[in-house]
Formats: sequence, C-alpha cells, structure tokens
Amino acid sequence: MAQQLAIIVLVDIGNALETNTLEGNTYLFDNMKLHGSEGQGTGDLVTAIHGAYWRDGSQATEQVLNWLPYSLGSIPPTVPRSYQSDRARQSDEQALAELEAVTAKAGAPGADPTPELDHIRQVAGRRVKTTRRTRGRLSGQKVLDVTGQVVTEATAAYSYPGPVITDIYGQAVDEKIMYPAEYGSPDLVTDGWYWSATVDSSRPGTYAYTMRIQLHKLVQRGGETLWEPVNLTCESKLLITSEPKRNGFTGAGLGWLPIAPQAAQPQTAQPQTAQPQTAQPQTPQPQTPQSAAPQPGAPQFPQSAGQPQAPATPHS
Amino acid sequence: MAQKPQINIIAVVDVIGALSGRTLQNGNLCLVDNGDHSSTGQGTTDLCTFVRPGQVVQWSALAVDLQTPVDIKSITFLGPDGTPSPLGRRDANGESEKLDLEHWAGMVPPFLPPGVPHRYRLELQMYEGEHSVLHVDTPALLRV
Amino acid sequence: MPPKPKRDNGPAKRPISITAVVDCVGALATGSVHGNLYLYDTNKAGGSTGLGTEELRTRVRRGDQILWSVLALECEAYTAIDGILIDPEVCEPVRKVYPGTDVAYWIGTIKTDAVQHVPYQIKFRLGSRDEPIVSTLSPSLVG
Repeated sequence: MAQQLAIIVLVDIGNALETNTLEGNTYLFDNMKLHGSEGQGTGDLVTAIHGAYWRDGSQATEQVLNWLPYSLGSIPPTVPRSYQSDRARQSDEQALAELEAVTAKAGAPGADPTPELDHIRQVAGRRVKTTRRTRGRLSGQKVLDVTGQVVTEATAAYSYPGPVITDIYGQAVDEKIMYPAEYGSPDLVTDGWYWSATVDSSRPGTYAYTMRIQLHKLVQRGGETLWEPVNLTCESKLLITSEPKRNGFTGAGLGWLPIAPQAAQPQTAQPQTAQPQTAQPQTPQPQTPQSAAPQPGAPQFPQSAGQPQAPATPHS
Repeated sequence: MAQKPQINIIAVVDVIGALSGRTLQNGNLCLVDNGDHSSTGQGTTDLCTFVRPGQVVQWSALAVDLQTPVDIKSITFLGPDGTPSPLGRRDANGESEKLDLEHWAGMVPPFLPPGVPHRYRLELQMYEGEHSVLHVDTPALLRV
Repeated sequence: MPPKPKRDNGPAKRPISITAVVDCVGALATGSVHGNLYLYDTNKAGGSTGLGTEELRTRVRRGDQILWSVLALECEAYTAIDGILIDPEVCEPVRKVYPGTDVAYWIGTIKTDAVQHVPYQIKFRLGSRDEPIVSTLSPSLVG
C-alpha cells in the first residue's frame, strides 16, 4: 500500500497580495515529522521521505505526496465544496422573497419602499462579473466575508478564495525524483482537484522544487467587480533517504516464526480479553536462536502487498 | 489445490479512533487475511488464521485514515498461560523509530502442534508519545 | 489599455483571523497539544509576533474583531475549538457557525483600550476523544 504523505501549504493571502510575494507569507507542514522533516510551520520545510528497498535492491515502499493549499484567515476548507454558490443562491432567494413582499405593499397609498429596497440590495450582495478571462470556479459567485455573509461593497472585509497550485516544477522534477501531476478527486476539501506525485526513493539526497501558486485579488474595473489572478511561486525541499527493509522477527532475513514448541494452548483455552494499554514494561529477552532463523536457502523473500503507484485520493 | 506459499494478514486501523478512545476495540482494529482455508474471526480482533508448515505469514498495518502513521511495533507469540514467548526479538538495536523499515514475516515452523490456536500479541505504534502504543492478545495462528 | 484597477481597502475592516493548526494525531498520541500546535494570525503587518508557535502574540486595538478557527494537519481528523478562555473584560468570544453548515468559528470584539498583554487558552475537541484538550502554553493578545 502506498504511503500517503501530505504537504500543507498555508498562505497568508492578504499579506502576500500586499507585498506581492509568498516569501514570509507561506507556512508549510507535512506529516513526516517523525521521519525527520524539519521546519514544520515555517516557509523552510524540508520534507523527509523514508525510502526502503528489498535485498535485491528493488524499491520496497511507494511514497505518494499530496499537496493541500489552504488560506490563512479565509472561510475554512471544511465547509462544503459548493459553499460559495449555496450562499449566493440563498441570498438570491431571500432577496426575491423580500422583493415580493415590497411589491405587494407598493399599491398601498403613501408607501415608500426605499428602506426595504435598500435592505434587499444588502441581502443580494455583490456578484463577481463573469468574463471570458476570469471564467472558472470563481465567476458568477458572490463575494462573502470571513463569516460567510454575502458582502455588498467591494471594500468590505471579504474572504479571499483559497490558493490554487497551478504547477510543481524544478530540480526534483527535472531529475525525475518525483512525478507530480494534478488529479481530479471526489473529496470535499480540495475543490475537486489536487496535486500529487509519486517519488523515486532510490536516489538519496536533498532536492528542491517550486510551486506556482495562484491567488486572487478582488478588483473593480469599469464598475465591475473581478477576481484578478496573481501568480506567485514558493520553494520547498525533499530530503530522501533509503534503507534496507529488515525482518521484524529476526532483524535480518526471513526465518521461522518465533513460536515456542510448547507454546500451544489447550484447546479449551479461551482467548483472553484484550487489554489495550500503553507500552508494556519489557524485560530484555534473548535473541531468536540462530538455528531458528535459517538465512541462506530461505524461501524467496516475500514481496510486500504494495500496490502500483496510482496515487489514491488523499482523503478517504 | 496447491497451498499458497504466503498468507498476508492485514491490520486495518482507525488510528484517530484508537488514539481517541485509547483502545483497539470498538471497531478500531480489523484483522483480515487471505489464506486458503476458512480462517475465523475475519474483520475482528479475534482473527484466527489457518496455516500450514512452511507457509510464509506476512503481517502489515494499514491506516483507514490514510495519512496517519501506523506501524507494527512487535508481534510476540504467547505461551499457554498467555505470557509472551521468550523467543521474540525485542528492539535488539533500539531503532524503534524506524519501524517503517521492519517487515513482519516468518515461516510456519514444522513442529507447530496442529489443531490449537497459537495466540500472539500484536502491538501497534501510532505516531509517537505516551499513548501511542496499543496492543491486542486475541489473534492467533492455527495449523490445519 | 484597460483602466488601472482600483485598489480595495479590504484589510481595514477585516477581522483579525487567528488560525490554530493542530496535529491531531500527535496531540492524541501524547495527550497534549504541546508540540502539536501552530498558531498564526493575519495581523503580522500590524505587529503580531510568534507566528507558527504556541505563544502567538496578536497585536490588537479596541474595536478589533478577532476570529478564531482551527485547521487539522490531517484532513480526515475532526478538530474543533471548544472554547476560548480569556479575561471577559477584554474580549468575550462566542461560538458561531458558517450559515448552513456545522463548521464553527469563535468571534469576539476587543472591549478595552488598555490591552497590554492578555494571555488566553484555547480548548480543543480532537478526534472522537471525550474530554477536550486545553493548550499548554498561552498565546496572548497584546496592545
């Protein structure tokens, strides 16, 4: 089974757009801290990839990297994928319902619908103009603030759309250490697309790579509100090590299972209730006798149940 | 029918569930194998895998929450009284942090008495820390 | 040539967002968020310090809205803020949800001019664990 490794790219979009750089505005994480990754939560993450190989030199594990870009201080990625359009539709429905009420009252003498109409304008919010250039997941949506409310003015405290990785390239790709590509996914977190790569762990070393990341800035042009794409890059590194697989029972090659001949339980023995608990105190115990671990002439070293490297979706 | 040269036992672990409840019970661990014979307790912590002498048995651990780490820390066969067999190897070189390099496989010994379950302790390491190791004593191998 | 885009003034009214990134599996395995928590805010330009640590110091002023939310390192893990333990004279955060979802955030307004150094604690709900876990080191609001 391929080991799924995640790299989270958390971007302070407001600051990045302000300063026009991702440097100092990007925080990277992975789930390989125990394998020696360094710089968690900073812009200088070095992702450790623990490769392993069999005694014949073939690669023993499949490592699959998945990149997840998130925005600092935006609506969180855990809201449903259709959240932007759901909120836009809800606000339309509310505005229509209120408009109907105003229309019904409009016939009454002395009725002034202005305050109601003002309120409807608030409810309806501001829709981002669709143009050929900006067409995509953001076009036609309404602008939301960071609490999910529809925003009327483009100057309000709107929530930035999440960052989008548009390419992964550089040394680690040029030297064929990893093979990144963008994949479609049914998951609810990454807007249906994510970048993933399989890794060749047979060539230990440190390899840099660059991510091209697209942010979006809300601008007004000719009275229209548009999300303008801003392309920036940030760098990270992979640190690849590779060590031989070893047998957990013998510490070396394949042997007999360490079952004492007298260990057989009487047939009447009931299985004990499992008592899950934290690490047992362990007294040092003798090594498996060498005679019980015949290295040479042992059966073919079994291959793992590893599957070929089609990257699975990072989310179950 | 020729017997399979190898039987795989897979420990499927709900790591977040196991760490949250500090137990491998309550569905947090499912053991399954792909043996020829009708092993019992498939999908539970009481898996009893039917084996023949000379067959290779291989264990591996898999997290249902894909990106969480789980490794086999040890597999220790238990004596009739349920105490661990002295034959097991115990972190001889102390490199417990490299559990991912360990490959848990061994051959079924010819002297294994048939017809009785040989229970073993399966100890799983999930991430690192005071509460990161849990075990069960209920799975077994049974020579047919 | 298209007219020059007008810059927006968004950040002026934007709440200060504080994001807690939690290594949920690490916290459950150790029983503590110490070493498994990274705090960030969106006010670095305004003078916040300690970003990426457990002792984030967020620069605030009277009237600022502060919004706390959480992000799990493992996207499969349930992670939520269960409470913000802070001097109610300074700020009284309340739990709200994004309309139409069960995704929560905590929001509060700075009520006083005299914020110097106000430490607070964050209480987390992680995985399916029954008891919440409270932050070990204290982040703070600073004036």
